[in-house]
Amino acid sequence: MTLNGEALVQNPIESDVALAARGDSSAFERLYRTHVTRIHSLTRRMLGSHVADEVTQDIFVRTWQKLSQFRGESQFSTWLHRLAINVVIERRRTYAVQRGRMSDDPSALDTITVAPARADLRVDFEAAIEQLPAGAREIFVLHDVEGHKHREIADMLGITSGTSKRQLHRARMLMRKHLGGL
Amino acid sequence: MTLHDQGHDQWTAKLSEFLDDELTPDERYAVESHLQGCAACTAVLDELKQVVSRARLVTPRPPQADLWPGIAEKLESEAAPAAIIPMRSRAAWRVTFTLPQLAAASVLIAVMSGGFVWSLRNRAETRSAQASRSSNPETPVAAIADSMEREASAERAVVPVGLADAQYDAAVTDLERALKDGRGKLDPTTITIVEHNLQTIDEAIRQAREALAADPANSYLSGHLVEARRRKLDLLRRAAALTSESD
Repeated sequence: MTLNGEALVQNPIESDVALAARGDSSAFERLYRTHVTRIHSLTRRMLGSHVADEVTQDIFVRTWQKLSQFRGESQFSTWLHRLAINVVIERRRTYAVQRGRMSDDPSALDTITVAPARADLRVDFEAAIEQLPAGAREIFVLHDVEGHKHREIADMLGITSGTSKRQLHRARMLMRKHLGGL
Repeated sequence: MTLHDQGHDQWTAKLSEFLDDELTPDERYAVESHLQGCAACTAVLDELKQVVSRARLVTPRPPQADLWPGIAEKLESEAAPAAIIPMRSRAAWRVTFTLPQLAAASVLIAVMSGGFVWSLRNRAETRSAQASRSSNPETPVAAIADSMEREASAERAVVPVGLADAQYDAAVTDLERALKDGRGKLDPTTITIVEHNLQTIDEAIRQAREALAADPANSYLSGHLVEARRRKLDLLRRAAALTSESD
């Protein structure tokens, strides 16, 4: 199904992007409110709850700064999502340098307490994702949660598709172990 | 590790690629042959499928605090985005949408108008009823596209919110029907997760609507309602897709 561009002029997202690019902070706030849930969720799953708020704020500040580079060749949400992933990857590298090495201990997943009687399956599953080793976690989130292909992930992270596949399998096996009581 | 374990590792290492249909035909045939005679690897494959299903059903959660004040503070010290590069000319645009994208677009169009739209709700509902009668009820998303094209040709600045509301409801109804029809194809855990998440989202929608009724000009509440409705549509779409994949 194809629509021409005239129809899009009325899309409130496109209108707000155009307004925000010209300095309208109210329009940018509307864009923030529309997209913050997805961006915050991505950030939380990739980096952890403890930094998700701060990194999400940084992502939107960078979005404001880079809005002039958005040319409308893709959907704004796609453009924003890619920008967010770049910020997250950059942050992870920074944290890795600060710590001297990645936290890559698979046994960390064993420390998660299984929710009694599966009171909140969603939170329990998200807690398990957050406990995955960093390398496996980001590929699990990008592939299985966000729906990216291995080739795309390899481009984003500067790794090979084979590494992406191996880390994904590792993540799934760890998640399977944690969720074995399903 | 025993020799037996090593043999299983050789096969389990390929199960994710098998699940994602990324093996060569020869490799796939070899794994399928092994699975026919290996209950342990078959069990691992089933558990991996559950992990993948759960991951697809994870729904976004908003931050616990409103992060906008902190962002706004930082923006104040920033100049407006400089060196504006014009967006591509409208005439050159030709964008293809999937059906779910169009349905999601209708949700955004419906609700982003915030308090102003809310105050016009009764009038909009009348218009949506008229529009629904003139549209094919079995193809609500196509009707959205048609309405967008009509609006474009008329060069009208405001999309009829009531119409989009009706079409959002129709899209949700269609997806709920598809999910109901395919319910038997999903495992009980998946059904539990879907129902639990739908209840949570429905409750969020109800609360947002109540709050908006009391404060119709509140853009924060409008944003929450938009997001909650989008999440419901997205979850239903994912769940319906799972039933299709199980065919």
